[in-house]
Amino acid sequence: MVNKLIVSNILYRPIRTALSALAVAIEVAMVMLFVGLAHGLVNESAKRLEGVGADILVQPPGASFLLAFSQAPMSMKIGDRLKDLPHVLAVSPVLFNFNSAGGLNIIYGIDMPSFVRVSGGFAYHRGGPFQNPYDLLVDDLYARANHVKVGETISLLNQGFHVCGIVEHGKGARLFIPLQTAEDLLQIQEKASIFFIKCTEPSYAETVADDIRQLLPKYQVLPVKEYMSLMTSNNLPFLNDFIAVVIAIAVCIGFLVIFLSMYTTITERTREIGILKSLGASKRYIIAVILREAGLLSAVGIIVGYGVAVIARKVILAHHPTLFIDLTAEWAAYAAILALVGSLLGAFYPAIRAARLDPVDALAYE
Amino acid sequence: MEPIIATRDLKKVYRLGKVDVEALRGVDCTVHEGEFVAVVGPSGCGKSTLLHILGGLTGPTSGLVLVDGNDFSKMTDTDRTRFRRHKIGFVFQRFNLLPTLTARNNIAIAQDIQGNGFNPHRFNAVVEMLGIQDKLDHRPYALSGGEQQRVAIARAVICDPKLLLADEPTGNLDTDNSQTVLNMMGGLNRTFGQTVLMITHNPEAAAVADRIIHMRDGRIVAD
Repeated sequence: MVNKLIVSNILYRPIRTALSALAVAIEVAMVMLFVGLAHGLVNESAKRLEGVGADILVQPPGASFLLAFSQAPMSMKIGDRLKDLPHVLAVSPVLFNFNSAGGLNIIYGIDMPSFVRVSGGFAYHRGGPFQNPYDLLVDDLYARANHVKVGETISLLNQGFHVCGIVEHGKGARLFIPLQTAEDLLQIQEKASIFFIKCTEPSYAETVADDIRQLLPKYQVLPVKEYMSLMTSNNLPFLNDFIAVVIAIAVCIGFLVIFLSMYTTITERTREIGILKSLGASKRYIIAVILREAGLLSAVGIIVGYGVAVIARKVILAHHPTLFIDLTAEWAAYAAILALVGSLLGAFYPAIRAARLDPVDALAYE
Repeated sequence: MEPIIATRDLKKVYRLGKVDVEALRGVDCTVHEGEFVAVVGPSGCGKSTLLHILGGLTGPTSGLVLVDGNDFSKMTDTDRTRFRRHKIGFVFQRFNLLPTLTARNNIAIAQDIQGNGFNPHRFNAVVEMLGIQDKLDHRPYALSGGEQQRVAIARAVICDPKLLLADEPTGNLDTDNSQTVLNMMGGLNRTFGQTVLMITHNPEAAAVADRIIHMRDGRIVAD
């Protein structure tokens, strides 16, 4: 019977119900999308680097595992010493250039022959390898997002680059230029930001890494497996704080809307609460009615929120193919719990207020 | 036999802003089980306050109130609510049906609140007696005043209360519907021995009762 009362109350005020559920839906979708975007970008970035095919990364002393923060270059001669180590199949130096036009991108300055040895080579969707110093390879996602075609000239790093090929994504960066050109643009010679090392067998990675640590004690030597384990949102500075702030804002929205909705409902239904009290409804009964109503609104909002998140993800990815949004069951559950708890907390004070109404005053309410 | 209602020097003072208003100034009365009592008097004489106290909706300021042997002046709000749930049924002038529920659910919710579950035999007997079988799936806005009041009476008696308190039950009804509602309350009293205490300022309505109590200025002036 209480369920019938709750459902009929909800259906009796469709606009209020729709707005309240929509607020919860926005809360749920916001949590899922922001968290999904943060995790998606981190995971995708890590997978892309893993896709280079190297077993070990060697970076300059003090470099961060976040490659974007690592630009201090190393001498190219180090690469020659690395090549001589046992079980090293190939060493590829890469120089990072940063492009901020049209979004922040790392451009890999690559030595094509060695990069091909490490990575197994690019899979070309269109065009082919570099032919000229100011040739540029872009991956398919970048090309789709920016409507880039082979043969076009696009402006990067204050230079015009000729797009010579579109390659399958997943080889570290989205943009590749010849190493020599990257050095010229940075006005440095014979330097690399990172060495990608391919072992003769992946199982030698730890052994080779130990050898490199002995050879280059101050340098950052990271097997790719270890790198992958470090590339989680927990290890990224401020990302968890950012996620926490977004979640807090989303929960506040849900809390405040449900609070306001239930508060106005209580005022509007003062007489009905008086009727329930005249029938002998206890405070607990009235609190339960209000909280269950908020819970039902919240449940509707959660389901709608899942739909909004899925649709929003499709729309975002259609317009921005380089973004990655991981909608996980785990975070769907967290978002639902947050929305439900926020709604119940939002409804709690109005419920207490309703339960404390004087029945005589409530029955006289116009 | 113990009276079902007994009050001694019952007083109720409301505070309106900084002014104390004496709604009841020492009411002494007894009502026995099975009686149909009408309380009449002009507006503001304290009739409704007396009904609210007897129904446990509010507590007295002083004096003794015994309803079915329970001293309301010593009971907490929670205890009075529990007592009301099991022993008292209300009928109001404005029907006070829940607008979102059908007539059926308006009646059934009283059983739900009482906590004994839905009793179909009792339910069917009551709706048949009140002649509202065809109206059970209607919401209050789709019912006439007389039909709404019959649903309200059904809700009030569905849990077989010891005491039925009616606050101007015909106040919003035309003559025909008033008569129907009064006949039904009279029928409940005669057929089932339902104790009824009805507040009214309609002499014709009061005439249906076995006994008439007259109130003025917060006191009983004639019984």
